[in-house]
Amino acid sequence: MAPTGRSLRPGRKDKKATPADGDMVPIGEGVGDPHDVPVGYKLDPWWWLLIGVAGLIIFLILWRSDPYWDILVFVKDGLVVTIILTVCSFVLILIVGLLGGLGRIAKNHIVYMIASLYVEIVRGIPLLVQLIWWYFAAPVVIQAIGGALHIAPLAEYRANAIFLAIIGLVFCYGAYMSEIFRAGIQSIHKGQMEAARSLGMNYFQAMRYVILPQAFKVVLPPVGNEFIMLLKDTSLVSVVAVADLTRRGREFMAVHFNPIEVWTLVALLYLVLTLLAARLIAKLERDRGVRSAS
Amino acid sequence: MTGPIIQIENVHKYFGHVHALAGVSMEVNVGEVVVILGPSGSGKSTLLRCINHLEDHDSGNVEVDGIQLKSAADINAVRREVGMVFQSFNLFGHLTVMDNLTLAQRIVRRRPTEEAKDTALSLLEKVGISAKADAYPNELSGGQQQRVAIARALAMNPKIMLFDEPTSALDPEMIKEVLDVMLALAQEGMTMVVVSHEMGFARAAADRCIFMDEGQIVEQGPPDKLFSNPEKDRTKAFLSKVLQA
Repeated sequence: MAPTGRSLRPGRKDKKATPADGDMVPIGEGVGDPHDVPVGYKLDPWWWLLIGVAGLIIFLILWRSDPYWDILVFVKDGLVVTIILTVCSFVLILIVGLLGGLGRIAKNHIVYMIASLYVEIVRGIPLLVQLIWWYFAAPVVIQAIGGALHIAPLAEYRANAIFLAIIGLVFCYGAYMSEIFRAGIQSIHKGQMEAARSLGMNYFQAMRYVILPQAFKVVLPPVGNEFIMLLKDTSLVSVVAVADLTRRGREFMAVHFNPIEVWTLVALLYLVLTLLAARLIAKLERDRGVRSAS
Repeated sequence: MTGPIIQIENVHKYFGHVHALAGVSMEVNVGEVVVILGPSGSGKSTLLRCINHLEDHDSGNVEVDGIQLKSAADINAVRREVGMVFQSFNLFGHLTVMDNLTLAQRIVRRRPTEEAKDTALSLLEKVGISAKADAYPNELSGGQQQRVAIARALAMNPKIMLFDEPTSALDPEMIKEVLDVMLALAQEGMTMVVVSHEMGFARAAADRCIFMDEGQIVEQGPPDKLFSNPEKDRTKAFLSKVLQA
């Protein structure tokens, strides 16, 4: 979790924090530069890395299908859970982050205080602790409230692991995302808002048509960074009864006692996912970020 | 309508402890061109920004087109009748010139896209920049950007145009192209309030010049009289510096 806190300021530096987008992939450096060498001109290093990792997985499976093929078949469900968990959470995180970011720049003092309190509280508690709280403590609280108010559905609430894991991830990452959006919106010169308002647009029209489209380009790199971190941090939900990639790996190991094979394959599978995600983000940045940055 | 279109009465504005406007009263009639000058920090930009409520005045009255800004139910309804041109252009960087001109027409005036485009094109022709309709603002020179900004404000068919030091951020050779557009606008009878130190423009276009200092109007009158024969010492001192330059 630690690096997330540092990614408040949009900038290239943040990208370096992810292993998937380190020195091996110089794509990030060229973003925003119209004189960039056209892609496809030569096979860039990212492809070699992906081919290398994918090749290694295939090699391991062909070389010793017992246990590697067995592991892959076993953790396959977990891989799907990890992807679904990441994508679902991320969509909600973007919404929470946008609302939180707008709250953090709100002139209304109550809205500002609520948003700030949320961000400060969430940033001060480890994600793992938050996830455990949502899974073990929140249902008890809900049941107690339901019991006190005689609301049967709440009193008989049973914890749904995936649902509470998504809540936990969204609650935590939403706070970091709020700060990214706040910084992104504030990086747009205030003259843009004034020009929009002087043309008769209301606050929300100005945000929707003028500020956010420009802020979007600014926040793309740190938002992409968050996505990759989220993808990796979903492994924490394995301790709260979600059968994700990491938990399936642990289950396999508990039966077959082969830690090296299991965790090597699990690590490589995460690496493939993050490499693909990094590539997707770099493409988005190129498509949306290059033109008309003024 | 008769009477002044802008009516400002005893307006005060504070920024913290700074008394930016210290009891300003003025009127602007329909079709009048008023140039406000004064040293930096004299409150002239603040006064201009109070007219379209970008700054909220602390006391006094500002009435635009018959609507009290303090009690206006919908400030946006006032703003769309008042165009504003900024020192730093403030074109929308993510939109083409054409989209800069049509955005507010479509979402504020609710004009159909085709009509908005026609209005935009004729205005771009008017400011002499129709060839750049598909360019992005950062592909234009400062003078071109400011002309687009003027066209963008005009596209809303405002009753009043405000100019906040429109040429201060421009290279000398680009100032004239912007002033020419403003001059043409003044000759068409547009009601204009201009904060500027361009004496040539003031002489050619202004019906009245206002000299401000320390948040107050020191002196006002027709440009020829104010420039050649100012009454107050403060005005003389300022003008001697500006006219020398």
